[in-house]
Amino acid sequence: MARYGMVIDTRKCVGCYACRVSCQMQNELPVEETYIKFHEKETGVFPNVKNEIIPVQCQHCEDAPCVSVCPTKATYTTKEGIVLVDADKCIGCKYCMVACHYGARTQDHNTGVVEKCRFCAELVAEGKQPACVSTCISNARIFGDLDDPNSEVSKTIVKMNAQPLRPDLGKAKIYYVR
Amino acid sequence: MVWGTIIAAYLFLAGLSAGAFLTSSYAARKYPDAKTVRVVGRLISPILMGIGLLLLIVDAEAGLKDPLRFIYLFTNFSSVMTIGTYFISFFMMAAAYIALMELLKKDTNKIVEYVGVVFAVATAIYTGFLIGVIGAVPLWNTAILPILFVVSAFSTGIAGTMLVSAIMDKKVIHHVMSIKKIHLTLLISEVFLIFTMFLITSSTNESAAQSVAMLLSGEYSILFWLGLIVIGLMVPIGIEALEIWNSSKLHQSQAGLEVAASGSHGITATLITESAVLAGGFILRYLLLAAAVPVIFL
Ligand code: SF4
Ligand code: SF4
Repeated sequence: MARYGMVIDTRKCVGCYACRVSCQMQNELPVEETYIKFHEKETGVFPNVKNEIIPVQCQHCEDAPCVSVCPTKATYTTKEGIVLVDADKCIGCKYCMVACHYGARTQDHNTGVVEKCRFCAELVAEGKQPACVSTCISNARIFGDLDDPNSEVSKTIVKMNAQPLRPDLGKAKIYYVR
Repeated sequence: MVWGTIIAAYLFLAGLSAGAFLTSSYAARKYPDAKTVRVVGRLISPILMGIGLLLLIVDAEAGLKDPLRFIYLFTNFSSVMTIGTYFISFFMMAAAYIALMELLKKDTNKIVEYVGVVFAVATAIYTGFLIGVIGAVPLWNTAILPILFVVSAFSTGIAGTMLVSAIMDKKVIHHVMSIKKIHLTLLISEVFLIFTMFLITSSTNESAAQSVAMLLSGEYSILFWLGLIVIGLMVPIGIEALEIWNSSKLHQSQAGLEVAASGSHGITATLITESAVLAGGFILRYLLLAAAVPVIFL
C-alpha cells in the first residue's frame, strides 16, 4: 500500500501562485477560497537577508489532530495516508480548524463544510499527479510514495535532506527543502 | 477568530447552566426553606443549556443545513466534543426531568438528582477540556484552563441563580449566606488561577506569551482589565466581602437579626454583584477565544 507524500522545494518556488489557481480549478473553489496559502519568511540581518516563500497546505499528518478531534468522523485518514473530509458527515463545527497546527483548513460558506487539500485523491487514484504538482512551473513540487525508497519523492527527501515544517509537532507527509 | 462570540456564549451558557444546577442542589440540601433559590436554579439550568445548544447548532453551518448530521456527533470517542455531547445529553435529561418535577410540584428522584450533579460537573469540566486539549493554541493548552472553567462555571451558576432569585424574592439572599461565602472563595480563586495560568504558559511558549501580551497590554487589555478583572472579579469580590462582613455583624445583635430575617435591606448590591459576575464569565471565555495565537510553524 502506497503512503503518499510530497516534497516542496522553496528554493525553486517563485511564488507565481500557479499551483493555487490549478488547485482552485480542480476543486471548483471560488477565488476567495484556497487550500494553498503562501507564507513569507525573512531570515538573517540586513543586508544579508533571505526571503523565503513557503506554500503551505494540509500536511496530511500521521496521527492528525484534525482527525482525532472531529466529533463526527467526517475527517478521516485513508489507507494511503491521505486525510480527507466526508462532506456528508461534516457539521461545520470548526473544531478541526482550531486543532490544525498549520491553519490548513477553510470553511466553504455555501455548504458550511470544512475542507482542505485532499492530495487530489481522485486524480491520484487514476494514477495521475495532484493538480498543483503537474502545474508547478519550476518543478518545485514532487509527489509520490513515501514507502517506496526508489520513488522520486523518497529519493529527493534523502538527497536534499528535506524536513517537515515542524517535525516536533508530529509527523507530516509534506517535506520542505529550504 | 475561528471560534468567535457564538462559541464564547455557548461555553459560558453551558458553564452557567451546570453551575445553576449545582447551586440549586446545594440549596435544596442545605437550605430547605430557601425554596426560591432551589426552584430558580432548577428551572433556569435546562433553559440556559438549551439556549447554548441552539447557539452551537447555529454556529455549525453544515449541520444547520442538514440537522440529521448531528447524530454523528456521538460517534468519535477520541474527540472531546463527542464525549461532551454525551455529558450534555445526560445532564440535560436529568436537569429537564428535575425542572419538570419542580413545575409539577412533585418530589424528585434522588438518583436522578445525583446523576444530574455528576454530569453537571462533567459538563463544566468538558467546556474547559474542549479547548484545553488543542495543542495548536498554547494559551489554552494548559492543565489550569479546565480548572479555571469549572471555578468560573460554578461562580456564574451561583450568580445567575441568585440574580433571578433576588428579583423573585428579595428576602431570600440573606438566608443563604454560605452560598455567598462559597461564591467569594470561587471569585478569589479565579483571579489566582488566571494569573497563574498566564505566568506558566507565557514563560514556556512564545505563542502563549503573545496571547498573554494581547490580554495584559495589547489589543484586548481594556476588556481584560476593566471588563474581566475590575467589573467581573474585583467589584463582586468587594461587595460580596462587605455583605458577608455586614451580615456577620448583623447577627451579633437582636435588632440586626430581625433586620436580616425580615430581609428589609435592598437587593441593589446583589443585582450589581451577580450581573458583574455574569458579565465577567462571558468576557473570560470571549477573551480566551479572541487571544488564541496559534503555534508558529514556519
Ligand atoms: S495539516 Fe491540518 S488539516 Fe492537514 S492533516 Fe494535519 S492537522 Fe489535519
Ligand atoms: S468541521 Fe466538520 S470535519 Fe471539522 S471537526 Fe467539525 S465535523 Fe469534523
